Amino acid sequence: MATDVKFESLSPSEWFRRNKELAGFANPSRALYQAVRELIENALDATETFGIHPFIKAYMKYAERENWLSIYVEDNGIGIPKDEIPNVFGRVFYSSKYKVKQHRGIFGLGAKMVILYAQSTTNKPITVISAPLGSDKVYRFDIMIDTLHNDPLIKHQEEWDNKYKWHGTAVHVVMEGDWLKAKHRVEEYIKRVAMVAPYAEIHVKEPDGGVINIERVTLTLPTPPKEGLPHPKSIDIEVVKQLISRNGDSPLAEFLVDNFDGVGDETAINFLKSIGIDSSKSVKELSMDEVTHLVTKMREFNEWRRPRADWLSPVGAELLEQGIKKILEPEAVFATTRKPSSYSGNPFIVEAAIAWGGKIEPSDRPVIYRFANKVPLLYDEGNDVVRHVVDEVDWNLYKVKFPASLVVVVHICSTKIPYASAGKEAIADVPEIESEVRLAIREVARRLRVYLSRKEKEKEAMVRYAMFTMFSREVASSIASIIGLREDQVLNKLKKIISRKIKYLEAIEEVEDNAEQQQQGEA
Amino acid sequence: MQSSNSRAKPRSEVLKIMEGLAQELYAQIERGEEPVLEIPSRTLSNTVWDEKRRIVVLGPEKLKRRLLDMKESKRFMQTILMLKLIVSSIREGVYPTIRDLYYNGKHTITFRVPNAGTIRENTWDDQAESNAAIEDLEVGLNVLREEMGLSADVKGKVVGPIIVRSKGFEIDATRMGDTALGLPPNPDELDIVKIEASYVLVVEKDAIFQRLNREGFWNKENAILITARGMPDRATRKFVRRLNEDYKLPIYVLTDSDPYGYYIYSVYKSGSIKLSYESERLATPNAKFIGVTTSDIINYKISSDYVIAANDRDIKRAEELIRYPWFRSEAWKKEINLFLKMKKKVEIEALSTHGLRFLHDYLLEKIHGGKWIE
Repeated sequence: MATDVKFESLSPSEWFRRNKELAGFANPSRALYQAVRELIENALDATETFGIHPFIKAYMKYAERENWLSIYVEDNGIGIPKDEIPNVFGRVFYSSKYKVKQHRGIFGLGAKMVILYAQSTTNKPITVISAPLGSDKVYRFDIMIDTLHNDPLIKHQEEWDNKYKWHGTAVHVVMEGDWLKAKHRVEEYIKRVAMVAPYAEIHVKEPDGGVINIERVTLTLPTPPKEGLPHPKSIDIEVVKQLISRNGDSPLAEFLVDNFDGVGDETAINFLKSIGIDSSKSVKELSMDEVTHLVTKMREFNEWRRPRADWLSPVGAELLEQGIKKILEPEAVFATTRKPSSYSGNPFIVEAAIAWGGKIEPSDRPVIYRFANKVPLLYDEGNDVVRHVVDEVDWNLYKVKFPASLVVVVHICSTKIPYASAGKEAIADVPEIESEVRLAIREVARRLRVYLSRKEKEKEAMVRYAMFTMFSREVASSIASIIGLREDQVLNKLKKIISRKIKYLEAIEEVEDNAEQQQQGEA
Repeated sequence: MQSSNSRAKPRSEVLKIMEGLAQELYAQIERGEEPVLEIPSRTLSNTVWDEKRRIVVLGPEKLKRRLLDMKESKRFMQTILMLKLIVSSIREGVYPTIRDLYYNGKHTITFRVPNAGTIRENTWDDQAESNAAIEDLEVGLNVLREEMGLSADVKGKVVGPIIVRSKGFEIDATRMGDTALGLPPNPDELDIVKIEASYVLVVEKDAIFQRLNREGFWNKENAILITARGMPDRATRKFVRRLNEDYKLPIYVLTDSDPYGYYIYSVYKSGSIKLSYESERLATPNAKFIGVTTSDIINYKISSDYVIAANDRDIKRAEELIRYPWFRSEAWKKEINLFLKMKKKVEIEALSTHGLRFLHDYLLEKIHGGKWIE
């Protein structure tokens, strides 16, 4: 093309500053909600992932100007080494990770977007105080981001002796925000986070004096995710190019075995042979066309081992049940964690729970709580695969009659969550995921049915006993009055007959129950 | 059951029968058995047409009502509660109405269930339930409620050449003026002192009864005139039967010409489905239907001003009637089929199509000319 076009180079920080709505910072209420959740998610990732029971403080208060809010979030996590602090907070895309692992942050940008938003609305730096595990010192940095050069600007720096052997990270930020509009979202978010993290203690102070204290109900932590390699079916050209640039001149077969999950020596050689590329060729000698060809075929090839799920960290059925019991206070809850599965090379695990009765408000259809990688999804429920599956369920089969106090909780964890839209609040209808969600919900719904029918039977038996006894009393009194006896002379004999009959009826029902269960088992 | 036993049992005998049931139940309980009542079942399927005796009777089906069966427990209790109520009324020498018994026995019984609150149940919620308990005792013990001394609304009234004695007073039904003799709940307790009638005319409607009374029809005809104002109650039926059985008086029945009127006739004659267990004490198989019939509309040239189009319910009712065995006579089949074909009905009053005196001429022609059907 002969036209003379000037290209302006844009740093990543500048790009994000200009496109802040993409990361959820579109307006002051949304930004406040987003900031709180980014900071809390970082805090959880810095603790439970490393076997530490999270203890998180999130204090919000009004700041010096109207619409300004001060947010302070502190955790007891592993902390950040002194030298890393400016880069971790002050440089967008600062990360050495080319490996996959389940993590909460939707964009992996965490606190950096919070800083960018804060400095663009209040022009104030963020304060970070941190001490790594076992550190003698506590470090403080006041940081801004030089958006043009994507560099941290250190405004102030100090350190002091770690007298109390504290470890963790505290972040303080002053930004524009609309608390009244964000209040409901923030509270709902905290409640739902706590639901999937019953091992966390969270203390929240709100600007208008409200307090939320969430106590920990268990010391059990979920198994943390391992770091793993991407599966060949899940990669794209960009990832492969980056990997090539970091692997110098390794031969192609070795490159595949070392950098991808599910690839053994033999599979690598067979694969390269099948696509007509020499397996001993050095990766840096690949032409652009060959890279494209390689990537396309890697995604199509069907003989890789299935992706491993070691890099996933489900909540676990027991913890999920505990969390739901604590937050919703239902009469009964049933949870399950499915076996790992995968879509397009990405491993995933579906967990589902059903909570019934108790303090759950009755409604005309099931209330759904959705989670992706332990992050609550609050919006866009109508587009979510979970809502679609729940709506298809015939609840009559499970003895549920609406209006009912019924909550369905679904957690999907994956190295890559397939979102339905840019808002990242709904999970797409991927067939593999849909099928797992359906199986998970059916499984817990079946357990609900067993529970409800047992309850029904117990109630029937109780009513039966009550009816027999009260009618017998009336009959005994009538007979006694006619033939001139005392009521108890008749009633006592009748009571013995009642208890014998009830035992007999219960024995029959047990036999019928067993037969029914056996039938269901076979079906 | 004793057949054709139309004599009333004295109350003292009834008391023994009812006490016997309580003793039998207590014996079951003492043996450690679950209390069971055996009662002939009062369903349409157990209603049988007795060809020989020409009445509707209860079939052989019996149901066992158990105290310890969820579906039956309450009915069992109601039956025995009613038993007690009636036994004490006999012992105390009182004659409660069936509504008295309903109120007398109605109370709330409760049962406290741990952790689930209190279950409350009324012994019965409405009079239909307490009435059903009485009916159960009637069938189960083969004792009519009149014999138990229970009172109920009686609609029947009588006028004509008959003298009865009630509580020592003689009442002459020819000396009633424009009024009439009201029947007591148990007409068997009336002593018939003298009876000189040549037949009995039963009319469906009170207005026609009054008219014939005032116009002196019974006097001219030496007949006894009876009405039960619509569907006959048990006392009226019982009285009609007694006049036929004990005094061999012919019984003629006059109703409107519609399926409801036909059914009223059949209740006098053969018994009702609901109370088929009493037919043999209440039905009058010799009763004859003099009209008004559907063919009368043609034969007597009844003006179309008096003719009413039958509605869907009439048609449905007629289709039911034609299936009843007691409507299977040739004459009745002809009449009902004619009704279904013409879809027309008339009231007794339609006979004044030929002037107000015509009713008398019509009755004389039907009764003395043998123009009745059965």
